[in-house]
Amino acid sequence: MTFTGIVAAIGLAAIPALAQNAIPRTAAGHPDLSGVWTNVTITPLERPRNLAGKEFFTPEEAVEYEKHSRETRNKDIRERGTVADVANAYNDFWWDSGTKVVKTLRTSIVVDPPDGRVPALTPERRQQLQAIADAKRKRCAQPGCEVENGGIPGPADGPEDRPLMERCLSFNNATPMLPTAYNNDYEIIETPGFVAIDVEMVHQVRRIPIDGSPHLPASVRQWMGDSRGHWEGDTLVIDTTNFNDKASYRGSDRNLHLIERLTRTDPGTIIYRFTMDDPTAFTKPWTGEIPMVKSEGLLYEYACHEGNRGMTGILSSARADEKRAKAGKNQE
Amino acid sequence: MRTAIAVVVSCIGMLLAVAPASAHHAFAAEFDSKKPVKLRGTVTKMEWINPHSWIHIDVKNADGTVTNWMIECGSPNTLFRRGLTKDSLPAGTEVLVDGYLAKDGGNRANGRDVTLADGHKLFLGSSNPDAEK
Amino acid sequence: MVIRSGSALLALIALCIPAFGQVQRTADGKPDFNGVWQALNSANWDLQSHAAEAGPFSALGAIGAVAPGEGVVEAGAIPYLPAAARQKQVNFEKRWTDDPELRCFMPGVPRANYMPYPFRIAQGSGPGKNTIMIVYEYADAVRTIRMGNPGKSPADSWMGWSVGHWDGDTLVVDVTSFNDQTWFDRAGDFHSDALHVVERYTPRSPDTILYEATIEDPKVFSRPWKIAMPLYRHVEANAHLMEFQCIPFAEDILYGHLRRQAANGKGDSR
Repeated sequence: MTFTGIVAAIGLAAIPALAQNAIPRTAAGHPDLSGVWTNVTITPLERPRNLAGKEFFTPEEAVEYEKHSRETRNKDIRERGTVADVANAYNDFWWDSGTKVVKTLRTSIVVDPPDGRVPALTPERRQQLQAIADAKRKRCAQPGCEVENGGIPGPADGPEDRPLMERCLSFNNATPMLPTAYNNDYEIIETPGFVAIDVEMVHQVRRIPIDGSPHLPASVRQWMGDSRGHWEGDTLVIDTTNFNDKASYRGSDRNLHLIERLTRTDPGTIIYRFTMDDPTAFTKPWTGEIPMVKSEGLLYEYACHEGNRGMTGILSSARADEKRAKAGKNQE
Repeated sequence: MRTAIAVVVSCIGMLLAVAPASAHHAFAAEFDSKKPVKLRGTVTKMEWINPHSWIHIDVKNADGTVTNWMIECGSPNTLFRRGLTKDSLPAGTEVLVDGYLAKDGGNRANGRDVTLADGHKLFLGSSNPDAEK
Repeated sequence: MVIRSGSALLALIALCIPAFGQVQRTADGKPDFNGVWQALNSANWDLQSHAAEAGPFSALGAIGAVAPGEGVVEAGAIPYLPAAARQKQVNFEKRWTDDPELRCFMPGVPRANYMPYPFRIAQGSGPGKNTIMIVYEYADAVRTIRMGNPGKSPADSWMGWSVGHWDGDTLVVDVTSFNDQTWFDRAGDFHSDALHVVERYTPRSPDTILYEATIEDPKVFSRPWKIAMPLYRHVEANAHLMEFQCIPFAEDILYGHLRRQAANGKGDSR
């Protein structure tokens, strides 16, 4: 790091932008990933079953798919007085879940396995998750449960019963970096020896040292794991391990080894590829690819925990449900 | 775009087909689909905060008393990127709220529809080309 | 003699101190603040001079006690308006329940810079020179300092709206658009949403920054006032931040009163 610093100071490493390569580069010669990027898209993680075998749209098919998506996700389609009506409260004015497929015209974010779908979980992991779901169902035979995103009731004895999203701990969109309902923005700042990625949801900042240092010891586990980066040619490779027991994406567990590759292919695009290698959770590793597109907008503060009145509302609703149920019993 | 104040905060329901994720929490955990409510009131303030913004309104009750209600809406960050600011829904604006009551009995509602009293409806959905960034 | 000076030279290199003690510079010729930094004082306990004091829980003994410190406020005292001085006193008396730090809330500016946790300054250069990000280990707080003109802030925030420019070798950051939710320290020093902070980061050596912050808030203080302190670089090889994700530690304070009072009630939050 110091050597690079001295060299940079003397200006020896200053590499002028080559005429045929319009990608901005840092003084060290690497593509500069700094800036605000968005990965918003309607392309789903997994290839829809009715598109089996079809890896790419034609441009005409993409237009059709986008039109169909706009029509079926029209916010006017709703039935008053239903739980679904309450559950999905916003129209597009508030959402930013996209109107376009990815510019590569892929039909899914998953590119490996070739069927574009997440591989099966291992039998042991499936059993584990089933046991958790069964325990939830059992607890929710009593009042005091509240529905989670996805419509399934979950316990609400205390905040630790609730999903990580409700606690503002994570949104399942930072490791790996995938689009969510809105604020699909990332601000990257690249410096010699360190890259920061500010993920707008939920103001998680990924810290990626690029200094050759090893991972933390296996006994140290973190919510976003422990990331270390290095350059392979023009690709930034991020290697993340040391996840804790609560962090999980699509069934992954603490043994997840996440490998991400960021390649700035033109001034307006970073191709982001990630591999989920987790042999205790998935029967085989799987890889996804999604472009990150340069954004002219800014990231704004997303102070989630500080404004988390929803958690108060959910827990007090559960207590109110229990009270009502008790009062109902007393009248029998 | 600084499309002034005719911000129709039209928090309407949506069918989530293949959408990757929902809002920060399930509204149905907090609000009761069996208890719809219609409120006409005056904005006292709007909190442009995360994870959900809140519109505070004073509602005149039948008996002449006034109750302050809190209406829950979405994250304001997307709106900031479209040019709206904390001055976009000023205090004193009259609004009509169509929502669902909080389950715990508090004076809160899910902002399903929030319309301006002057009848000026500007539906800023993704199908509206003016809403494109 | 040769061996000794050789190992001294190796030690210098190992500590990443460049020869001649010159400030490192980016490719743009600006002082290079990239790295992990931390304040070394007890300003987070109390910006003004204070003696050691017992903490709120005798079970925590010396671990939970208040560390002493000489104040970092120039001219000694914080110039509260009379009504605000009374509020400060109320805050002080309720500091063990009301300090937003207890709840793992973002600390605002300048407090973030003197929390007892390290922070990383990520300073872009070349194409990335218009952005400086400060990433704090505490609560994953982050500030993005825009070096160009980012326009007006759309709404108040916890960490404020930071606009920076260079004044010679000093990074000057103008911070506005705060909400009124943060405190300056654990002693109840506070502000309103009219807070305006002007920071100056001046390199005084390759591994120290002189940090000054002028604080102005006409609703709370009778005049602007200033704090100053060194910020020290973590010079160990490959210094990094770790996660201080404190939300689980604060949930009991925030939501404990809403827990279900069952026979098998969960006592601790995870």
